[in-house]
Amino acid sequence: MNRRGFSLGRIAWIGENTLREARRQRLWLLLVIMAGALGGSARLFHDGAYGVPEPAFLLDAGFGILDFFGSILAIAAPVQMFFSEIERRTVLTVLAKPVWRAEFILGKLGGGLVLLGVFCAFGVVCIASLLWWQRLAMAGACAGAAEEGGRVAYSAVIAGGMVQWLRLSVLAAVTLLIASYARTSLFALVAGFLALVICNLQNLACQAYRLADSFWVRGAARVVGSVLPDFGLYDVVDRVKTGAPLSAGYLGGITLYSLVYVGVFGSLAVYCFRHREL
Amino acid sequence: MVAIEIEGLTKDFRSGAGDGRIRALDRISLRIEAGAVTALLGPNGSGKSTLLKIILGLLAPSAGDCRVFGVPSGRVESRVAVGYLPEAPDFYPHLTGFEVVRFFARMGGLPGAGLRERVGAAIAEVGLGAAAHRRIATYSQGMRQRLGLAQALVTDPWLLILDEPTSGIDPAGAAEFGGLIRRLKDRGRTVLLSSHQLDQVEEICDGAVLLDRGRVIETGRVDELARRGGGGLLGVESLPENAWDELRAWLGARGGVLHEGRAPRAGLRRVFLEAARDGGNREDCPR
Repeated sequence: MNRRGFSLGRIAWIGENTLREARRQRLWLLLVIMAGALGGSARLFHDGAYGVPEPAFLLDAGFGILDFFGSILAIAAPVQMFFSEIERRTVLTVLAKPVWRAEFILGKLGGGLVLLGVFCAFGVVCIASLLWWQRLAMAGACAGAAEEGGRVAYSAVIAGGMVQWLRLSVLAAVTLLIASYARTSLFALVAGFLALVICNLQNLACQAYRLADSFWVRGAARVVGSVLPDFGLYDVVDRVKTGAPLSAGYLGGITLYSLVYVGVFGSLAVYCFRHREL
Repeated sequence: MVAIEIEGLTKDFRSGAGDGRIRALDRISLRIEAGAVTALLGPNGSGKSTLLKIILGLLAPSAGDCRVFGVPSGRVESRVAVGYLPEAPDFYPHLTGFEVVRFFARMGGLPGAGLRERVGAAIAEVGLGAAAHRRIATYSQGMRQRLGLAQALVTDPWLLILDEPTSGIDPAGAAEFGGLIRRLKDRGRTVLLSSHQLDQVEEICDGAVLLDRGRVIETGRVDELARRGGGGLLGVESLPENAWDELRAWLGARGGVLHEGRAPRAGLRRVFLEAARDGGNREDCPR
């Protein structure tokens, strides 16, 4: 019998199926909520110059909201997508076909990353639209005020959105790894949120421990700092606020950093799932 | 040709904390010939589903060997020619029946050319043509069962593994299912099904394997097992009305029972019940 090779087509179909289900489950409602939160915050805090919000505030609020809802989506979507297959036992029907378990996991991961990509693209469009509206409003209030309000580099906003997508992709891969060995969706959700907190704070902890006298404590801090991704590296709002585009070096480095973590966590998820009894 | 070959198969599950283990399958050996329709029988917890999952490579055996068309069941290649219907199947509720079967057809490796027609034909074969473009959420349990059959059949597999295929299906649907299995047998397909519908098993299956507490306790041709269970049927025609009492008394004196009106399909049932007699003391297996 011929060897059954690994198929990118099957991974794409599993990802497509995952996306179609997410769309029909009305996950896009989260986009509407995010757009509402962005619009609402811009309307609420119109206390900047000329009665319109400052670009810096819009960027802070916009990326903060993107981060908040994106993190929820990056944790909830993989857990939901994975455990719904387990609980409905559709995973048995899929894997009873000549499908590698790795294809199943990579399809789920791929579908999740595309979903997060759509989410971030929509968030960036919302933020850019609000900034554009803000400039129009300032220009209408007083000639030359738009320039006073500070320059807005839309390319930096787009790059910032991409960086957020990379961060959420790493988080989704971590969550999928947890889901691949967790027995319940509740455990995977809680552990996913714990991972988010750890990844956000690990840099601070490691910095503190690196100052310790003990060689072992310093070494452990370095190891922990390498094993878990540092989400502090993805904070780009302050750079975007300067109006200067994000450097190609930073973007290349953070992309590589994210790819390594997504690759490692994705591979570990495949490993765990291969040994899971269904 | 042998479709499924199992040798000394054992499966242990961990039971909670510590080193405790539950033996779900205990040194099972059996062969299922290609082209046969075989029933896997046994009380709940006897290990039927575990055995089916090992054949499908969904579970790894603790010991022993399982081959499907000569390929070890843990390998992806062993599932190329296999269709599977899980027990009480449930599918993506937000997708339509057509989308679900198309998805599984792609997973089964059907090429894009002619995919639409093949999916439509599989759905029509199980009588769901009119509901093909409705979402699964609106399907009854019986319709989901039929859809499960459609996705199992869509790649026209050489081996069909069906876990409780007629549960949730009405009698008319069950009769249609019997016809479908006979058509598959005529086309040379191998069918392995687990069922509690013993009357139907007697009608459509060539062979049966009885499991209890993870062990094979009976195996053989269904008609032979039924005869052993004492369910032989003797047709009587043109007997005068006054001779019935005489016949009943004659049979009674020899330990027989005269059933009037319908065929007493007790043969296989009796074998099954005798096998499961001690089931009350059985420790249930986890799967």
